[in-house]
Amino acid sequence: MAKIILIGSPNSGKSLLFNRLTGLHHKVANFPGITVDVGMGKMRDLPDTVLVDFPGTYSLQAISAEEKVAVDQFHLALQDPEVEQVLCLIDATRLEKSLYFTLQVIRDCERQHKPVTVLANMIDVLDNHGLSLDVAELGAALHTPVLPVSARTGKGADAVIRHVSAVRTAAVQPSRAHLLDAPDVLLRGTAHQLARRYGPKGDVLVRTQTRLDSFFLHSVTGGISFFAIMYLLFQSIFTWSAPAMDAVQGAITAMADWVVPLIGNHVARDFTSDALFGGIGAFLVFVPQIFVLTFVIGLLEDSGYMARAALICHKPLRLFGLTGKSFIPMLSGVACAIPGIYAARAIDSPRKRLLTYMAIPLMPCSARLPVYTLLIAAFIPAGTAFGGLVGWQGLAMFGIYFFGMLCALLVTGLISRTSKDHYTDLPFVLELPPYRVPGLVPLLRNSWSRSKHFVTKAGKIIFTVTVVIWVLGYFPNYGTDLGASWLGYLGRVVEPLFAPLGLDWRYAVAILTSFLAREVFVGTLGTIFGIEAADDNITPLVQHIQSSDLHIGSGLALLVFFAIALQCVSTVAILSKESGSGALALKMFVGYLLLAYAAALAIYHLAAVLG
Amino acid sequence: MNLSLWALKAGDRCEILGYDEVLPENYRTRMMEFGFHPGETVACLLSVAFGAPKVYRVSNTIFSLDEEVADHIQVRVLGPDG
Repeated sequence: MAKIILIGSPNSGKSLLFNRLTGLHHKVANFPGITVDVGMGKMRDLPDTVLVDFPGTYSLQAISAEEKVAVDQFHLALQDPEVEQVLCLIDATRLEKSLYFTLQVIRDCERQHKPVTVLANMIDVLDNHGLSLDVAELGAALHTPVLPVSARTGKGADAVIRHVSAVRTAAVQPSRAHLLDAPDVLLRGTAHQLARRYGPKGDVLVRTQTRLDSFFLHSVTGGISFFAIMYLLFQSIFTWSAPAMDAVQGAITAMADWVVPLIGNHVARDFTSDALFGGIGAFLVFVPQIFVLTFVIGLLEDSGYMARAALICHKPLRLFGLTGKSFIPMLSGVACAIPGIYAARAIDSPRKRLLTYMAIPLMPCSARLPVYTLLIAAFIPAGTAFGGLVGWQGLAMFGIYFFGMLCALLVTGLISRTSKDHYTDLPFVLELPPYRVPGLVPLLRNSWSRSKHFVTKAGKIIFTVTVVIWVLGYFPNYGTDLGASWLGYLGRVVEPLFAPLGLDWRYAVAILTSFLAREVFVGTLGTIFGIEAADDNITPLVQHIQSSDLHIGSGLALLVFFAIALQCVSTVAILSKESGSGALALKMFVGYLLLAYAAALAIYHLAAVLG
Repeated sequence: MNLSLWALKAGDRCEILGYDEVLPENYRTRMMEFGFHPGETVACLLSVAFGAPKVYRVSNTIFSLDEEVADHIQVRVLGPDG
């Protein structure tokens, strides 16, 4: 099947145009080892032609390893006989930025005898401001056809499809090669001259943007609007997705209630109830959260605000080796690490993205809340101080949340200082795109695609681990006594590891099962102690722990352990998929496990010393 | 008056003179791809509080640069942005 490559700079409207030309039907593939997406879709009205959406890049002269992968893929694609043409998208409102890249694309395509068509996007913006671009003159100067389009309104999209068809049938003759031997430095000068000659004159296009920036980046109004927008983002993750999460959970429970009684064999029945519905339910419940967060982040990106938020946060996060773009993934991580890891895709610097990945699992996610609630209720007195203004339990909850965030910053700060950072990474040069009204349909499709990615990619790993833990906990006594199961046996085997924290095999088993999801710790302890539905009502479990001889140091050690340890199979699975490195996910799991253990041991001994 | 780009205040305009040798080649390359050529006019649009990256306009594009980069771009001040 014939392939047409669509390439362009970031923020040139490429994804939107891709959707216009393909009728919004595309699939996403990953380059091996990195998170660069290549969208593919059949072109509208040309069913035998596939449009390949290459990742946006500023130049074909790569300055980072990740850019090099994208550029190398483009050059490889040019050698592919199935690739018949290249469409190079430029932003007509900002010609200078686009033209150097365009000239590089034209030169490299001439070398491989591939015809190029330049698509001048955002022609509607020029129209709205009474400006124009002489596409015929620019095309003559580039020796390449230039077609005006508007990805937002769809204007010109039909003409692009007709042109692609005409080039395929040789109705349009290829241009004469004129840049074959042109070095980059010459192309840069040519781009500069062409932009001066043909680019929109005056500053009408940036005046509105500057006015809005004066508000959104002002030290007072900018700060207030930043906190308001971040509050809405946080609400979207926690509150707005809650009804849908409850609905998913309810639907799975209802389905289980209907299906499970129909199964005669009791092993199959228990497996279906606990591993199948329980396991699937444990990760499907995240889907609405991922959908809502992806949608809201898309709104922020499309509107142009995301770049401003990154600018506001950059300075403080830079102290810890991070970038302003790390803020939203980390904030998302306070609700759940999984959408946070997805949100880290927006970070263009591989090093900063890696550090952000390392920070996210330490952010105090909502799955830790039931564990913290149980341990704080069991070990921290319910009294108050300062005339009732400060409750000890509330203070402990705040403290453990703050501890997680502090750990995240300390870890990234330390790691970023262990290897040379200065000037070895991509520079912090952030293009501030114009403010725009977001397109809702592409955002919804993107949110759906991301949710589907989570289910199909992470689901397999999560389900496998769920089944393994279920088998260990169910056999050989068919689920009658968790303590006598293989998992209970395993708990006793690893008990010596937890004994220095003052914890016996029962807590060891609960920690092992909490790898499925941290909150499983509460339910498992309830099962072991013979307390029904402990995860719905923790009071009897709290009383049971309080009446046991468990030292407060062990309780504090558990709190610290759960604040640091990467006890979540879903997070490990998504880390592996998103980073393209199973080794990284494994190293992070083991590293945080050891760090959590060491910190818990220190706290236990400190508590013992203090009495 | 010759300064670094980072020293500009909101409303200042300047002409780029060149780059410090301290700034690595890949950084200089990328900056020139963005339009920050020697001889080009740049306007400082916003100087955000607390040392946050500043906002500059070059050609019809607006960029935010932090001190790490902007401090190594040598400029000649032209006067307030008209």
